[in-house]
Amino acid sequence: MSPTDSLVARTIDRLLADCCTPEALERAEVEGWCAPVWDRLVTADFTHISLPEESGGSGGSLGDAADVLKALGRYAASVPFAETALLGGWLLARADLTLPGGPITVVPELLRLQANRIAGRTRLAWGARAQAIVAIVDTTDGLIVALIDPSDVTMEPGSNLAGEARETVGFDVALTGARHAAPVGVDIGSLQRRGALSRVLLMAGAAEAMSDLTVRYTHERHQFGQPIARFQAVQQHLVTVAQCAAKLSVAADLAVRALERGPAELEIAAAKVIADEVAVVGTRAAHQAHGAMGMTREYPLHRLSRALWSWRHEYGHARSWSRRLGDLAFAAGADGLFPLVTGS
Amino acid sequence: MHFEATELTDGERALQREVRAFLAAELGEATVQPGLGFNSAKDPAFSRRLAARGWVGMALPRAYGGHDRSAVDRFVVVEELLRWGAPIGHHWVADRQIGPQIARYGTEAQKQRFLPDICGGELSFSIGMSEPDSGSDLASLVTKATPADGGWTISGTKVWTTGAHVHDWIVVLCRTTPREEVTDRRSGLSQMLVDLKAPGVRARPIPFIDGTADFCEVVFDETFVPDDQVLGEVGAGWTQNASELVYERGGPDRFLSTYLVVEQFLRECSSETVTDAARETIGHALAQYWVLHALSLSLARAIDDGRLPTTEAALVKELGTRFEQDVVNSILSLIDFEPDLTASGLFERLLVTATLTAPSFTIRGGTNEVLRSIVAKGLRPQVEPR
Repeated sequence: MSPTDSLVARTIDRLLADCCTPEALERAEVEGWCAPVWDRLVTADFTHISLPEESGGSGGSLGDAADVLKALGRYAASVPFAETALLGGWLLARADLTLPGGPITVVPELLRLQANRIAGRTRLAWGARAQAIVAIVDTTDGLIVALIDPSDVTMEPGSNLAGEARETVGFDVALTGARHAAPVGVDIGSLQRRGALSRVLLMAGAAEAMSDLTVRYTHERHQFGQPIARFQAVQQHLVTVAQCAAKLSVAADLAVRALERGPAELEIAAAKVIADEVAVVGTRAAHQAHGAMGMTREYPLHRLSRALWSWRHEYGHARSWSRRLGDLAFAAGADGLFPLVTGS
Repeated sequence: MHFEATELTDGERALQREVRAFLAAELGEATVQPGLGFNSAKDPAFSRRLAARGWVGMALPRAYGGHDRSAVDRFVVVEELLRWGAPIGHHWVADRQIGPQIARYGTEAQKQRFLPDICGGELSFSIGMSEPDSGSDLASLVTKATPADGGWTISGTKVWTTGAHVHDWIVVLCRTTPREEVTDRRSGLSQMLVDLKAPGVRARPIPFIDGTADFCEVVFDETFVPDDQVLGEVGAGWTQNASELVYERGGPDRFLSTYLVVEQFLRECSSETVTDAARETIGHALAQYWVLHALSLSLARAIDDGRLPTTEAALVKELGTRFEQDVVNSILSLIDFEPDLTASGLFERLLVTATLTAPSFTIRGGTNEVLRSIVAKGLRPQVEPR
């Protein structure tokens, strides 16, 4: 927390500090989500933050939603907030569809309408908890945003490495639920960018917490008669983790600002590339600094590292985002490259 | 440890456009070849033309020929100069750190004597810190100054000093109180402004790894330095030196040294030959340039906000210098020819120089090992455990 933090940031941090007890987080591993956190988000009217009130949202800015995601990342709290607010809720609000109460999930790929039916198999975040599944569907009349009733799909349970519910969902349903044409700016590309940004923000929070935790542990842990943070070899790891946290924090904040202005293609792609690097380089250094302690479930590092390893895989890995950045660079050409770096 | 994300304002972007237009015109017809980072060519005439635009000594006081501009404005100008490989070698050190040091610690007479010429792009400076037996452990230096009539007499040897054979002045960190008379070895050191053409100063180039001759050994053989060339307080040289490192460390020169290699690679690529490996490699580099620019800009903004982000600057330099090395290897992995030492084409020539000089990036201006120690000292546990 820094003095410049917003009211939302301070509120969510207090809320999570209160309900993210070790027991609650442990139970979340069994249940696939952290129910107490979700309940508190509902009570605080945070679940639909950044969505306009006229669509049934809670109002607030994208920056507010970003603050919530970073805080959830710091605690590695497992709830479908990104799916409900930033992704599925955003699709519904943009398409003038009513927001259902309760958690929402979203199909992260483009579906196609064939013979008035949509069929597919995909991995969904918290599919079993969702009151509604939102998808972008390609039809002969253009893209539409459609709701799929969760009771019409088959679900195979699954879990990401962090113990968050990730069901494999099969469906072959007629398009009977609410639907509406997707407005300009709403397509699978913009959904995937928002999805990637949501993971970047969660990971920025996790990286920050990982850096704090590693600094604290290495100052408390004594070996050879002194805190291990005094050893230069250990200091190298501390610096690596701090660099990861700094890079990702700045990248995430800039990507949010860019998305407030436009598509943010470069910023989100770059931030996701950095997030993936942090998941590899940062966790390696943090674990090395923690020694065997970090390998136990009794100590909280595993929550952060497992979350980072999971989220890096969602909404495209570094290689695919690097390619997109490469395309931007080659399209800009030699003289256009530096303007991409500086944003002007 | 805190980095606040920040972006350029409209006014700063206007300055950026102005600098780009100037450099496009200047360098389009330049006879001097673009170089790498601040190891680029020395061109006093270019430095004067840049100064005429108000882009040397930007953040120095107007009263001494400066322009009272912000750290971010200077960042914008410097970033463009580095990106174009402009010949900034003549005024670089004076602009980056000697000017600010004199403005902060110099006497009124010193400010009037040196700052207008620094801001005019006229004066060039070297930095006399390392010695044959004192590199990272700078406080162990043995170059000594002994009191003399009206000043001091310096004796000793400085090494790995860039440009001392051609520059005008050197700021020498030397011992003015013998080591055995101080309890803290970092006290008793002083900074002195020494004319490189003064009697008793000998600068000899030490051939650099790429065959260039800009790296020097400087011998002071009972060189007389008048009292009015002592910078700041006698005995406070260590603190004075350290306080300015934030300007030296977190700037765009710490991640853009090899940028031009990447840009020229792009220029050489025809769109038909762009492989997936090239897309990924360049895309990955773009992500890193983007975030390093953001981190470095954040430091400049912090300075303008009245903070002194010393730890953060060390963190960024450690990160940026490793990247500017790594990106050379990334480009090397994409080419299908063996770089030739005698190449004259711009891309290949820059690539050769970058490959040969890259190891210096993580050494000059504080080794990465020293930087990591500095950062680690700034990483303290938060009072309130989470």
